[in-house]
Amino acid sequence: MDEPLHTLSAAELGRRLAAGPLTSRALCEALIVRYHAVNKKVGAFTHLDEGDVLAQADASDVRRKAGQGRGPLEGVPVAIKDNIAVKGQPLTCSSKMLASLVSPYDAHVTERLRAAGAILYGRLNMDEFAMGSSTENSAIQKTFNPWDLACIPGGSSGGSAAALAAGLVPLALGSDTGGSIRQPASHCGVVGLKPTYGLISRFGLVAFASSLDQIGPMARCLEDCELLLGALASADARDMTCFSPSDRALTPAGDAKKLRIGIPKGFLGKGVGAEVATAVTAAIEFYRSQGCAISEVELPSADLAVPTYYVVATAEASSNLGRYDGVRYGHRSASAGTPVEMMTNSRSEGFGAEVKRRILLGTFVLSAGYADAYYMRALRARSKIRAEYLAALATVDVLLTPTVPTPAFKVGEKASDPLQLYLEDIFTIPANLAGLPAISVPCGKSGHLPVGFHLVGAPLSEAKLLAAGRLFEAAHGFAHQQAAL
Amino acid sequence: MSSSPSDWEVVIGLEVHVQLHTRAKVFASSPWGFGKEPNEQVDPVVLGLPGTLPVVNREAVEKSILFGLVVGSSVPEQCAWDRKNYFYPDNPKNYQLTQKDFPVVVGGQVEIELPGVSRNVMGEHKFIRIHHAHLEEDVGKLSHAGSGSLVDYNRAGVPLLEIVTEPDLRSAAEAEAFLRSLVALLTQAGVADCDMEKGQLRCDCNVSIRRRGAEKLGTRTETKNLNSISSVRDTVIYETARQIRELEAGRTITQETRGWNAELSRGYILRDKEDAHDYRYFPDPDLPTLRISRETVARLQKLVPENLYDRQRRYVEKLGLPFTAASVLVANRELAEWFEAAAAVHPANPQGIANWVTNDLLRDLAASGTAGALLTDEVLPAVSLASCPIKPVQLAGLVKLTDDGVISKQQAKEVFAEMFKTGQEAVAIVDAKGLRQNSDTGELEKIVQEVIADAAVAKSIAEYRAGNEKAINALKGPIMKRTQGKANPILIDQLLRKFLG
Amino acid sequence: MAEGFDIDHLAKLARLNLTAAEKVLYSLQLNQILGHFQALAKADLPATIDLARVVSESALRSDEPGPVLGAETVTRLAPASRDGQISVPRVVDDEA
Repeated sequence: MDEPLHTLSAAELGRRLAAGPLTSRALCEALIVRYHAVNKKVGAFTHLDEGDVLAQADASDVRRKAGQGRGPLEGVPVAIKDNIAVKGQPLTCSSKMLASLVSPYDAHVTERLRAAGAILYGRLNMDEFAMGSSTENSAIQKTFNPWDLACIPGGSSGGSAAALAAGLVPLALGSDTGGSIRQPASHCGVVGLKPTYGLISRFGLVAFASSLDQIGPMARCLEDCELLLGALASADARDMTCFSPSDRALTPAGDAKKLRIGIPKGFLGKGVGAEVATAVTAAIEFYRSQGCAISEVELPSADLAVPTYYVVATAEASSNLGRYDGVRYGHRSASAGTPVEMMTNSRSEGFGAEVKRRILLGTFVLSAGYADAYYMRALRARSKIRAEYLAALATVDVLLTPTVPTPAFKVGEKASDPLQLYLEDIFTIPANLAGLPAISVPCGKSGHLPVGFHLVGAPLSEAKLLAAGRLFEAAHGFAHQQAAL
Repeated sequence: MSSSPSDWEVVIGLEVHVQLHTRAKVFASSPWGFGKEPNEQVDPVVLGLPGTLPVVNREAVEKSILFGLVVGSSVPEQCAWDRKNYFYPDNPKNYQLTQKDFPVVVGGQVEIELPGVSRNVMGEHKFIRIHHAHLEEDVGKLSHAGSGSLVDYNRAGVPLLEIVTEPDLRSAAEAEAFLRSLVALLTQAGVADCDMEKGQLRCDCNVSIRRRGAEKLGTRTETKNLNSISSVRDTVIYETARQIRELEAGRTITQETRGWNAELSRGYILRDKEDAHDYRYFPDPDLPTLRISRETVARLQKLVPENLYDRQRRYVEKLGLPFTAASVLVANRELAEWFEAAAAVHPANPQGIANWVTNDLLRDLAASGTAGALLTDEVLPAVSLASCPIKPVQLAGLVKLTDDGVISKQQAKEVFAEMFKTGQEAVAIVDAKGLRQNSDTGELEKIVQEVIADAAVAKSIAEYRAGNEKAINALKGPIMKRTQGKANPILIDQLLRKFLG
Repeated sequence: MAEGFDIDHLAKLARLNLTAAEKVLYSLQLNQILGHFQALAKADLPATIDLARVVSESALRSDEPGPVLGAETVTRLAPASRDGQISVPRVVDDEA
């Protein structure tokens, strides 16, 4: 009991809460103290209703005392990215457009967390509408990398990753459309899992690109990540893209030391920083030393992933974000003579530059005369990429690459170059296009900045990814790392 | 010099939007129905709140498939939904979920009947092809108040089946006949209620003209949002005349979208092709492609009622009903089934039963206000006979009593009136009122002989014997009087002739 | 493949006002991004798109009415309302 509570894992906190005398109230009070000490520096949280948190904690303590504890997450705080609905809490997506929106309903994952006895602990900063790789696109505030406050935490789930690395909370929810869980996890030295498309209900996740979006768990260690995944993943009739009870069984993990690991040809070449390459190569060698079979695999259409992603994602986004027009909720412009002016002015005032850029791009790729050349071609390319990944994953269990080519960059460094930023996601995007599970596991440092490696598996192979991560984590001690703040 | 209107042929295609008969909305569980306070039938999905997702209502899909089966379409193996993107305050997500490439109904045809030369003569029949029908969501309702507008989303998300015809219609009368047939098919299969007063059926009308005999179609205009059959008819007449006028004046027809002002009976331009929307259709990523099982199709096939014109032909050809009665009966499935239930009990006289149903029953139902719409000439909403006080078996009993000579036709009217009032069996009414005709020959013979012996009728007897057939009737009154009206008139006639013979 | 780009038309379709400077910047950036899509234009792609997601009727929802928000909540969320309805500037008779 010597370690401060904020350094402990969720699983350990759950065990101590179950054993006593630790109470959820004491834990939450300690985290709130930490919040006041640290959040200003890091900027991870955009909202924390302390009264509500303590009320939830008290309710949890009452339940536990009455012998009605709901499982390993009973009383454990989970922070939530601000694009996932919690009834009565803000749902801003870090956008001026939704600055005033309070959600009148719970997301499916929120219901799951409540049912697991978890404490819904505050709202986490993000790139506006999850569009970005640095959290610099938040209209609310900047978030800084706890390992170097001059650097970005990654994005779009930058608030989630930074909160974990700063010891502000033991568990966090992120969402991932092209790498938005895994890329900030890598940059902040935490674990981030993007599940198989359809494993977790998207009901209550504000849509960016519906065919790519998945909610996923983020944590400081693999055990916690697995714990949270278990709480979130369940069938939901409100999301038709979510697996039904009969087709969602995960493939058993098997023996991690017998995994067949594929290394995509050429992935360690282009644009990968030297220290990143070194750390990832060391991870590969570690697995080889454990008995894993390492082989090189071909993914010939890998170069198509980024352009395909930006066509599909922006097309869907341009439609998904059509609903923000100032009529039913959210920001309405004060100057408007006609409905068209009202909608146009509200959108122009409410959206930031990156969101507008992507809406324009998405509108273009769907517009008459261009949809065939861009959108339909991208769907065909997506089919091809998916087929290649599934073929590769028929011969190996997982594909291993860096999560991000280079470590976290300085705040502002790439803000003016969207194209450069889009390449941050070059390794993470294919998993979204193919609907595959993928995880980022911390594996070292580039200077003082964390580096992660990335595993992609076949559909519903989450258990294998987690087991592979655990094998590495057990040998290297990156678990529970926190930045000194 | 102008050519006669008959030199031109009008070509019409319709897009009919029908609200399907469901309890919940098409992609949300919010209920819907007429007459609720604004925005009381709205849930997070209907409002398009961030994070909400659509889920398809099974009943809406099955009602759509049922319509496909009714019009003889091939039900596709799969259907899918697309997004149609456009900004408008009544459109909560600023995209509408619809079906562009893989609709739930493909092909099919609707038989129509044009008016005959008179009410009792059947008109020409034609088949109008259905191009496809797709299942989509309705939008909210805008109303105008002073300098602003108000939005009510109760209607948003109501299941709409958009039925698109081939350009097979050639006149306003055909368009009207098509809509009447369509409404009958939809209501008889329970697919939709089609209550136009409540906006449950709305129509877009594409009209073009060409020289008679020409193959190439002319440039068409589309008049949107017509909410009655008469508006469609009037639009076709107006638009045909306008296009003829334009072409004969040497001008051209512009492909444009038009509106219709029913009060002024006048069309107007909404926008021309230059302003055509770019809807940026793409497959909806929230709704997976739906596989339609053949088991479902087979199950729904059993719910397809007999086609109304097949039924009409059967009534005329097999049952010998006059066209007028047949056409009245088949226009309403419940009425037709009611009639058939009665005819099944007393198969000897379907015509007699049909007469009672189409004359007396409908008249009394209308008078009692339970089925007024059955008699109106507008298209029939689904009228309920559930509250009809007479059961089919009871009417059959009444007709049988008459046919068997147990009561007279005149007495039958009295029995029917009582039956409509009390719901009693015909036999019970006849007995209670003592209406049963006396067929006891022995007793009647005595009475007949007594009357013949009465000096008061001697003159009539003499006339009858002299060859005046009608004179015999003067003897029937006194006989009836003595039997208190219970004697069988046919028997009296026979006996008189026997004794006077 | 990046030809025919009309920033004014796109902005109108997307209901966005752009300043002159934004038009220049976005045009430049979009052209850059679209240039990156050359790979897509040249790629040898399958003719058909595989439907990753096909569901059976068991995934459909039964026709059971569920709870509603209520007009009070709907109007509370809305930036402006009147008599239980959401108010907007006057809509002229056009389909937008």
